[in-house]
Amino acid sequence: MANRQSQPQQSTADQSREPDLAIDARDVTVTYRDGTKAVRGVSLRIEKGEFFGFLGPNGAGKTTTIKSLVTLLYPTQGSVRINGYDAATDPQMVRRSIGYMAQETSIDRELTPRENLQLACKLYGVPAEQRDERIETLLDLVDLQDVADTRSEKFSGGMKKRLDAASVLVHRPPVVFLDEPTTGLDPEARLRLWEYFERINEQGTTVFLTTQYLEEADELCDRLSLLQNGQVIATGSPETLKSEFGMDVFEITLENPAEEQIERGVQAIRRIDALEDPIVRTTDDGFAIRSDRIREVASEFFSALDDAGVSVSDFDVRSPTLDDVFLALTDDSSADDDRIGTGMASMSAGEVST
Amino acid sequence: MSGHDGRTVISDTAQKAPGNSATDDVRISFKRWLIKNLRNPYVVFTSLIQPVIFFVLFVEVFGAIAGSALAEALGPDISYVTYLSPAIIVMSTLSSAATSGIGLVDDMEEGMFEKMLVSPVNRSAMFFGKVLSEVTRIVVQTLLILLLGYLLLVIKNGAAFDQYLRTGVAGIVGVVFVTVIFGGAFMAYSNIVALVTRDQEATIMFANLLTFPLLFISSAFLPLGVLPKWIRTVAVLNPITYGVDGVRAIMLGRDVMTVVDVTAFSGIWNTVVPASIVLVGCNVILGTVAIRLLRHAAGSKVQ
Repeated sequence: MANRQSQPQQSTADQSREPDLAIDARDVTVTYRDGTKAVRGVSLRIEKGEFFGFLGPNGAGKTTTIKSLVTLLYPTQGSVRINGYDAATDPQMVRRSIGYMAQETSIDRELTPRENLQLACKLYGVPAEQRDERIETLLDLVDLQDVADTRSEKFSGGMKKRLDAASVLVHRPPVVFLDEPTTGLDPEARLRLWEYFERINEQGTTVFLTTQYLEEADELCDRLSLLQNGQVIATGSPETLKSEFGMDVFEITLENPAEEQIERGVQAIRRIDALEDPIVRTTDDGFAIRSDRIREVASEFFSALDDAGVSVSDFDVRSPTLDDVFLALTDDSSADDDRIGTGMASMSAGEVST
Repeated sequence: MSGHDGRTVISDTAQKAPGNSATDDVRISFKRWLIKNLRNPYVVFTSLIQPVIFFVLFVEVFGAIAGSALAEALGPDISYVTYLSPAIIVMSTLSSAATSGIGLVDDMEEGMFEKMLVSPVNRSAMFFGKVLSEVTRIVVQTLLILLLGYLLLVIKNGAAFDQYLRTGVAGIVGVVFVTVIFGGAFMAYSNIVALVTRDQEATIMFANLLTFPLLFISSAFLPLGVLPKWIRTVAVLNPITYGVDGVRAIMLGRDVMTVVDVTAFSGIWNTVVPASIVLVGCNVILGTVAIRLLRHAAGSKVQ
């Protein structure tokens, strides 16, 4: 574990500030007054134009980190520079150069979408003669043109989110922070927002996205950091992470998925020495095994099950997903931490199928 | 998304927003709250309909029996409509001011508060704009109640305007002034409750809890002289007494304050000056606490 942690967080003291970074956070630590350490030494170096993901279960410290990046919170320790401006000494310049979409949808429900966007334009001092055009474009972009003049209180969650997303872009910020923008949305609404975020990223906007959906990070991000207990436990592109930390997964469906049958199957698998201490999880209708060497021992595998008198109705070998990477990383770093366990469970349960 | 390519959205992205001057920010916030208030049926009801209901009911019900008490305390030539107008004005101001915190909690719950904090908007200006919209509401409803009172008096006795408001047009300005400083204190109170509880229901509850009992233990509905002694004692500490007496002195054109005996000035000033001092004092104390709490809520310090 120690070697993994040292990778993304090299010693920061001797590195000079690079003006080209959109986000340059060093050793950000947030300790609440009651002693809770929400963020423990997070360092992030995100280049302009990147689509960066910040991934972790509930309570990992994603929101606290993002709040210290957007000047809502001063870190107890460490420094934050956004677009070259220091968040502690120059918060006003940081605020002018970013868009921030909070986890809770933030729109004025008593105002219409057009009025909400107008308000946002005014707050950021968008010149009056440019407002109308920008608002029209954004309304088109998030597909709210039809309801532009309807009060937004009765909108669906997805519509409100889309309006919120549009309202953080009126001033064309070079960096946008999105805190779990798709949590609680139905799959269709989620896909629509993804499309939208990809589009603004293609247009040059740096996007910093926190999410608890691994699939979301996999789909959208150029690079991502995995966060757990307020610490970055790995950073890299989704592909790198998968090849480095992911292991092949072998999913077995039993003909008779009775508890006793599953148990007998698992015992038989554990006796295969070549698997080298595999990670086994039982599923509804069988079990899943994670190991680097699954593909090499497949035949041994079936004969072992056969000998144990367990008949297999279906099986599937698949490459690792980010889900597996996260499970692998969190399994061995915090087997004793129950809270993380629950967080992970909710994470995989909440995944969207596309 | 109907084939829209959206290319114009971020074609020139590497820039920062221009931002505004503080007066721009005040205006933006003022306008936003004015629109929100006008669209809120509850606000329209408490400002425009509730005063009418209470005014008419109180005049009809209490007016029938208040005559002798009034004559005893202030002489025979004062109608209960005139006597009650300050109470209705103060009561409506109280209802409006005491809900000021609800908007704040609403903004916090809806995330608009944070959205403002993360924008370059001037924070004091943002709050000042909101206060200004509430002051506007109070001024408008006060003027409407004055008009309503006058109409009621005309219907009942066919009186002239200076019989209703004896200090004339200057009196209107005076009434509005006392009302605003009275409202300011309770706006601060409401925001304190809002910032401490961060809860809409609590803010509404504390507002109501205060409004009615405090109104009754003051000079609002009947002269203190005819009320039980304990009420007279508590009324000295009740800011509503000072709001009502201040407005009433201006309307009746005479010193009406009985809780504190000031004779250093002449006529109505013996009421208006001490009432204003007490109310401004309340503003300073409660306002300081409210601003402190608001700073804390808007601050970026880790809590």
